[in-house]
Amino acid sequence: MLGIPQYLYRLLPGNPILLRVVSLAGRRKRDLAVRCIYLGLLTGIVLLAILTGGSRYTGEVSFADLTKTSARIFQQMSYLQLALVALLAPVFTAGAITQEKDAQTYDILLSTPLSNAQIVLGSLFSRLFFILALLISGIPIFSITQIFGGVAIRSIATSFGIAAATAFVTGALAIAIATFKVGTRRTIFSFYLGIVVFLVGGLLLDRVEALHPVIGRETTPSGQAAIDPQTGREILLRAKTSWLTGINPFLALRSTFGEPEYTPPDLGKLPAGLQSWPIGWYLTRPHSFYIAFNFALSLLLTIPAILLLRRMAQSTFSLKYWLLQKLRLRQGVSGARRPRYVWHNPVAWREARTKASAARAWIVRYSFILGGMGGAIALLALFATTDSAETYISPGSYSPGTRTLFIQGIGGGTFLLSESTTITLNGRPVPPEVLTGRYKVAAPPTRERIGNREVLSSLALVDFPRKIDAQTTRRYLLGLILLEFAAILLIVTNSAASTVTREKEDGTLDLLLSTPITSRYYIWGKLRGLIAFVLPLIAVPVLSVSLFILHDLIRGLGGADPAFRWIVFPEALVILPAVLIIVAAFAAMMGMHMSLRLRTTVRAVMASVAIVLGTCGGLALCGFQILTSLTRAGSELALAMASFSPFTVVALLIDPYTAAAGQFDTMKPETIVRGRWLVLAFSLLAAGIYAAVVHAMYVSMVRNFDMTIRRQSR
Amino acid sequence: MGVMIKTVNLTKRYGSLVALSNLNLEIHEGDCFGFIGPNGAGKTTTIRILATLLQPTWGEARIADYVIGYQSRQIRPLIGYVPDYFGAYEDMVVQEYLEFFAAAYNINGAHRAKVVRDVLELTDLAYKRDAPVDGLSRGMKQRLSIARVLVHDPKVLLLDEPAGNLDPRARIEMRELLKELRRMGKTILISSHILPELQDLCNTVGIIERGELIYSGPWTEIVRRAGGGVVVHVGVAARQDLAGALLAGDPNIVNVTHSNGYMEVTLRDGLSDYSFIPEKLIGAGFKLTLLKEEEANLETAFMRLTKGVVQ
Repeated sequence: MLGIPQYLYRLLPGNPILLRVVSLAGRRKRDLAVRCIYLGLLTGIVLLAILTGGSRYTGEVSFADLTKTSARIFQQMSYLQLALVALLAPVFTAGAITQEKDAQTYDILLSTPLSNAQIVLGSLFSRLFFILALLISGIPIFSITQIFGGVAIRSIATSFGIAAATAFVTGALAIAIATFKVGTRRTIFSFYLGIVVFLVGGLLLDRVEALHPVIGRETTPSGQAAIDPQTGREILLRAKTSWLTGINPFLALRSTFGEPEYTPPDLGKLPAGLQSWPIGWYLTRPHSFYIAFNFALSLLLTIPAILLLRRMAQSTFSLKYWLLQKLRLRQGVSGARRPRYVWHNPVAWREARTKASAARAWIVRYSFILGGMGGAIALLALFATTDSAETYISPGSYSPGTRTLFIQGIGGGTFLLSESTTITLNGRPVPPEVLTGRYKVAAPPTRERIGNREVLSSLALVDFPRKIDAQTTRRYLLGLILLEFAAILLIVTNSAASTVTREKEDGTLDLLLSTPITSRYYIWGKLRGLIAFVLPLIAVPVLSVSLFILHDLIRGLGGADPAFRWIVFPEALVILPAVLIIVAAFAAMMGMHMSLRLRTTVRAVMASVAIVLGTCGGLALCGFQILTSLTRAGSELALAMASFSPFTVVALLIDPYTAAAGQFDTMKPETIVRGRWLVLAFSLLAAGIYAAVVHAMYVSMVRNFDMTIRRQSR
Repeated sequence: MGVMIKTVNLTKRYGSLVALSNLNLEIHEGDCFGFIGPNGAGKTTTIRILATLLQPTWGEARIADYVIGYQSRQIRPLIGYVPDYFGAYEDMVVQEYLEFFAAAYNINGAHRAKVVRDVLELTDLAYKRDAPVDGLSRGMKQRLSIARVLVHDPKVLLLDEPAGNLDPRARIEMRELLKELRRMGKTILISSHILPELQDLCNTVGIIERGELIYSGPWTEIVRRAGGGVVVHVGVAARQDLAGALLAGDPNIVNVTHSNGYMEVTLRDGLSDYSFIPEKLIGAGFKLTLLKEEEANLETAFMRLTKGVVQ
């Protein structure tokens, strides 16, 4: 073989870096275990779907039912496959960021005759090999769906394409970070966090109506634009898929299943401005756009890495340090500065001060605080801002002595009220005292003549329309708080999981263990430091809801609106911090536990993040499932049970009318009161139980500390 | 002087690998004990057990009569452990680093400030108090490690390769610092591969190989025991080969080897008087240019006593 064929052969099939990984892959027990678990889960889904599907048929199985079951199996397997790829791809590829440098083989590789392309592609494919092998191993199970029909081979190919594109873009990103020296050992977590936030954030933001493209306007039978009687604005028709569908793998996958509530719009139905390429393609075929875009992006990230690999390795310039110096987050070359005061508990001081003051932690913390508070304030401002109206009443318009009402915007607008005048506010009857507030007149008031006087017979008032209505505000706020909650959990878990392993890696743990510091003192110091680091983060969602509660207090005091509903229930001020602190403490405990047990930071972080995400995700799933059943059954027991799931509690505090519509029925105020008491009581009970669990974990960790550490000593 | 460090049948196994086998050691208060042996001989394992970081599989180790494993809490304030690497915290300057460890020994307030100032002076690092730890040179890091273990004024110093990878100047500075600590009455257990320096610093040594202690005692004694015959360097103005043959025929001489311009003459075991050599050579008409007894040292003793076998 000579020339180009040999070059191409050595580029991938004969790439020594790839060959080393492929030859080792079959012998690793860990890889085998992960593959078995993956295939076991897929098989489990198939069996479960067949068994539960069969029980409904009671002997009479139609082909239509079988195809439905088959389609359901395919959907569930596709989601599982994508979730695992999205979860595992960062784990397997993130190592590329530092592994070669850590193992000091990077310089050796660069000094060999291997070309840049061989090194970059060898590194990329060797890290993706496991994921690709995992995907291929699942093909036979996916093929089972073909037995019953109902799933086109094209759909299976699309599902695999989305998963593969996700894996490739993750790997290419990791390789680019490694080549351009913007990453260190710590970047691995930021990389992981970034991917999780992107995926989860995309799913949450997809629920925001404003992010769904406008594809038309609703019209009346007469062909005129339909108007919303509440807001007085035109009713817009929006696409079922959002602007994010084409860039989020889960949304792109969902758009392929043909669900009526999540079908991409037809090209012909899009406004002319959105039909042009590539926007038309992006909106109408988000799955194919996702696959093509991410493979193209992978290529775009890989080519500069290939071209500049050796040049970047020779360069002493570091983009990261240059940026940090420009932002004044890092001192000059000498780095000399005044020493800080060291606390009596040096372990806590180290966690809280030196780690928190590190540039990365500083950026994460203040970005989180600014982003979170900025988002909440912007949301509150939008909610608090009202539109103008032509006809309205304002304080001073009504004179109780003469029973006259001046309505702004109606010529000669002073009207007399009688005993029989019907006044409604937001559709509910209210007494005349309400007229001291500022409200929009929803419809021209009806009048009648009594004697020679013209008297108002009915007056329909509504709140001034806001920039965003209460329900949308609740939904956005809930999304924001849940996102912050998830980010806090990830940050706490990462900090805790790296806290001991980093000392093992840096060799400082032995120094500390040879001092009189006891295990209790050490662990407590670590926890105290973590608390000091995390408390400002926990304060962000608590302060965000406090802003809304304060605004509601002022809003509620001013008027006698019987339809007044809190944006956030005030008891959130007690429940939310309790839940956040306890769950964060659990994440910290789990992280520290893994940090003690495992030797390397990467392993400890990945293991604890997986456990914390799995536990919280599982609890959230159970909680929301219980609430869904509650909507049907109206069971108070289910509400009590859902209060044990932290994420569900947050939903019940902020948007209960959606999360538990059965119990929080706006037409039955007494059920709302009962529901609030239930949530308060059971969420505090749950917090108490979780606190006991966390304490037990702490005690066990202190007791086993010496044994766990000594077992690792070599 | 009482016994400060004592081990009795100290054994450590890692699975099937025996890292230490029945180590019996006694180090008296104020001694400087040099621990020598090939890589993987068990030096670091011994030091880590004495630093309360490892539990022995069998046997007992005591420091100041406290038993390691049972009374480790009482032992830790008495010892200062310097591992064979520098444990650096990121984002800490020199003074913070020392204050951090002082706080770990529960030294706080004004006393802590004074102690840190004193050890910085002692280790000649006062001018670096504001410098970040991870930016220090290797020699300075080692000095800072010594400063770290001095903040609580321990009785025993356990030093694992403190001069490893240091440049000549840093090594000499480290040796002078350790001599100063010995003068202060500290009991020092030091492992090192630089034997001439140990000979200069220590009064007792222990040689360990494959986890077994081959010798423990004064270094002068080990040199004497390992010595064999006295080696004399002999030079003649001309005809060195003939002179060599003449000496080789003497029954008091065991071996004659020719080196670069002179001969190395090994006397019979037990014989220390070599006055017969010049008499014999001058009597045979040779002009003598060199006559010098080779200085017996730790290096030669170590080479003779150990086999260089690694586990």
